[in-house]
Amino acid sequence: MKYIITTAAFIGIALLILLAKAISNSDLISSDSFRILLGLNIFFICSLIILIAVQIFRLLQSVKKEITGSRLTLRLVLSFALMGIVPVLIVYLVSVNFLTKSIESWFDVKVESALEGGLTLGQKTIDILMSDIELKGKSIAYSIGNADTDERYNILTDLRVKFGIQDAVIFDQDSKIIEVSSDKNNLIPSIPNIEDLERGGEDFFGRIEEIKGEEIYLKVFIPIISKNLMSKRLILQLTQPIPPSIANLALSVESVYDEYQQLTYSRNSLKIIYILTLTLVLLLALLSSVAASFVISRRFSSPLAMVANATREISKGNYKKIISEQGKDEIGVLIRAFNSMTSQLEEATRNSEKDRERLEVARTFLETILAHLTTGVIVIDDKKIIKLNNVSASKMLQNKENKMNDTAMNKIILNNSLFEPLYEFVETYIDGNKKNKKEVSQEFRLKKDKEERTIMLQITPLSDKRSTKYVLVIDDISEVTQAQRHSAWGEIARRLAHEIKNPLTPIQLSAERIQHKFSNKLNKEDSIILERSTNTIVNQVNALKIMVNEFAEYARPTKIKKDTVRIDSLVDEVIELYEINKMISIKKEKNIPIIYADQNKLRQVIINLIENSQDALKEIKKPKIKIFIKKKVNEVELIVEDNGIGIPDEIIGRIFEPYITSKKTGTGLGLAIVHKIIEEHDGKIKIERISNSGTRVIITFNSGK
Amino acid sequence: MMGYSMRFLKKVSFIIIIIIMLLVIMIRMPNSENNEILIKNVVIENSENVKKIKFNQEINFDSLILKAINKGIPLAFKVTLRVVEISDIWPTKTILKKVGYYQIEYKTLRKVYRIEDINGNKHEYKYINEAIQKILKVEDFKFSFIDNNMNYNLWLNVALDRKKLPKPLQVNYFDRTWYMNSNKSIHQL
Repeated sequence: MKYIITTAAFIGIALLILLAKAISNSDLISSDSFRILLGLNIFFICSLIILIAVQIFRLLQSVKKEITGSRLTLRLVLSFALMGIVPVLIVYLVSVNFLTKSIESWFDVKVESALEGGLTLGQKTIDILMSDIELKGKSIAYSIGNADTDERYNILTDLRVKFGIQDAVIFDQDSKIIEVSSDKNNLIPSIPNIEDLERGGEDFFGRIEEIKGEEIYLKVFIPIISKNLMSKRLILQLTQPIPPSIANLALSVESVYDEYQQLTYSRNSLKIIYILTLTLVLLLALLSSVAASFVISRRFSSPLAMVANATREISKGNYKKIISEQGKDEIGVLIRAFNSMTSQLEEATRNSEKDRERLEVARTFLETILAHLTTGVIVIDDKKIIKLNNVSASKMLQNKENKMNDTAMNKIILNNSLFEPLYEFVETYIDGNKKNKKEVSQEFRLKKDKEERTIMLQITPLSDKRSTKYVLVIDDISEVTQAQRHSAWGEIARRLAHEIKNPLTPIQLSAERIQHKFSNKLNKEDSIILERSTNTIVNQVNALKIMVNEFAEYARPTKIKKDTVRIDSLVDEVIELYEINKMISIKKEKNIPIIYADQNKLRQVIINLIENSQDALKEIKKPKIKIFIKKKVNEVELIVEDNGIGIPDEIIGRIFEPYITSKKTGTGLGLAIVHKIIEEHDGKIKIERISNSGTRVIITFNSGK
Repeated sequence: MMGYSMRFLKKVSFIIIIIIMLLVIMIRMPNSENNEILIKNVVIENSENVKKIKFNQEINFDSLILKAINKGIPLAFKVTLRVVEISDIWPTKTILKKVGYYQIEYKTLRKVYRIEDINGNKHEYKYINEAIQKILKVEDFKFSFIDNNMNYNLWLNVALDRKKLPKPLQVNYFDRTWYMNSNKSIHQL
């Protein structure tokens, strides 16, 4: 559209110039060219009207669609158009009025009368001269008619000279020259028309002749009536120039009069053409200015529209929107400022994005750490609403959902009454009146039914200007406590072994020596008492020795000699040792992988477990011991289960501790030793009650090395 | 700059083509013919190498035109004579084209109507009717061409030559008074 309007502007200017030249100089452009020019102008005006109509339609469409900048463009177009139309219309109306009056003023009545007067004067002068030459001619004709033939020339010449006539020629009816007399010696007279001679032969006939519009001649024909009636009729032709001064004046008056008359006649045409031209010029100027106003308006509004669009883009987050430079005016300054602002925003956004990414990385890092922490971490606000937690915390609090965000802590904790003390402690801490609360920690030994856990809870307040949050670090230290207990028992066992085992042998020897030395010296009754007493001492010492040895075994640092072991073969080997193996059933999966372990220690583990099961099955009618060997991913699972009396709930949580046993006999060190051996093999052991009756021990080894 | 010019030309080429077409149409467009001149009684005389044509005309001189003549506006009529070769296959070929003028003019000073006939001879009449009767007869319009005994036609056309009118009348296209033209009169040679 820009190109079309530019072209239109060029064509419009060219047409205006041509039109102006055509009007000012009619000789320059022929009527055909002028017609083409007019046609072109009309065509161009129609094109401009169509162009403007299309532009208006498009602009209104844009306004309707609420395209940015369209309203401003419309407003500017209207303003520019009004600025153009009003003054041009005023000038046009004034010009048309002025033009019409000017053309009318050319044809003043006085001028016309004066010209008519001048022309009439010229005509009258010529008429007088014509009358004069008529009289002279008639006089010459009369004289020649009464003269003899041989005197005609002299009479003709004398009278011609006397009357001051330039040429005198006598013709007969056949246009034959009879006599010639002239001021010009070598005059060859031209033959007049037959019509002129015929008219001149009948009566006086005069004509005014014009030669090249410069000279006027009076030419008269007069019949010569001869006295000899029988002779041919002759015609006298006299030619007399009108004096140049009179002729020039008369011709110039005629010329001006003719021009004036022509102008008078064509004044309406003149008016029409001038008004038409003026209208075309007006329309060209007006429509060109309106068409140009679209370009100019768009030129003004487009940068602002671009700014508006760019602003919209920026509001959507596209900070890379840069507007092209628009010159050095205020709009250019605005655009440069806008681009600068956009660049700064982009830079700031980039930095913010980087910070956000860093924050995200840090958050992810923290979340990863929290997720992989075995310690439970919960962040709560002062209303005890959970804001953040990790998976361990959820598991530790035995919550089904991993995420506990925006849930009241009491709802989570009070689901399980085991953790009530924890909540009470937290509530007391948070609701307490202390300002500047310090970090606190407390160990809880929680027990409910058969479950017993040792929890360490640490509360750390985090305060900022707006609120205070609390980080609860929950650590299940049950295993640690158990390990400590195992370690303590180990120490006790070692001391017992050392402090008790040493005096036992002297005691036993002393008792045997007393019996040996005094049994023969005492009477039978005393001897029996002595023997019974010494036997009691020896037996109790032996019992103590056995107990001390077991303690020593538990306490002794184990030296593990690992080698490849086929657990299924080992189990088969051990079972063969027992006569009761009929009650033992084995279920093995195929291709059980080998493990890397101390075969002797594992044999001891299997024997301990089978013996424990045998002890539990003593009063059972249909005793059964089931052994399963399963392969898992990178693991081998050994399960020993029985349908015995089972382990009471009170002790099942501490069953791997020394001296914890449900049996009436025994030291309670068997499962403690089993637990120790399994731990030394980096395995896992778990003991559980079977729902109806019986116990299941599950041991997991890593397969391979 | 070159690229801009090329783009510009590409954009405006359509407009330029339309303008050129309109110009051609306007130039070629015949004038609105009023057919106020009727050619009749056409006589072609053959003498050795020269042919002469004479014909009569009927011209409707309305009061406006008579007034214009009396106001001193000269009326020149253009006689266009074409000798064409007619062929059933080929387009019509113009063998000869000859243009002649005759004119009527009122001389105010001398109060006579001066006629200049097609051969350039001048005649003056005191009354306009005499003068008009004179110009309605065109005589001895001579033309010559090599006659190969082909199928030649003579096309004759008479029109008022508007170019010889005063400029305001020439350019006033809305005034149809001055569009005087005859049909093409066709005669076998």
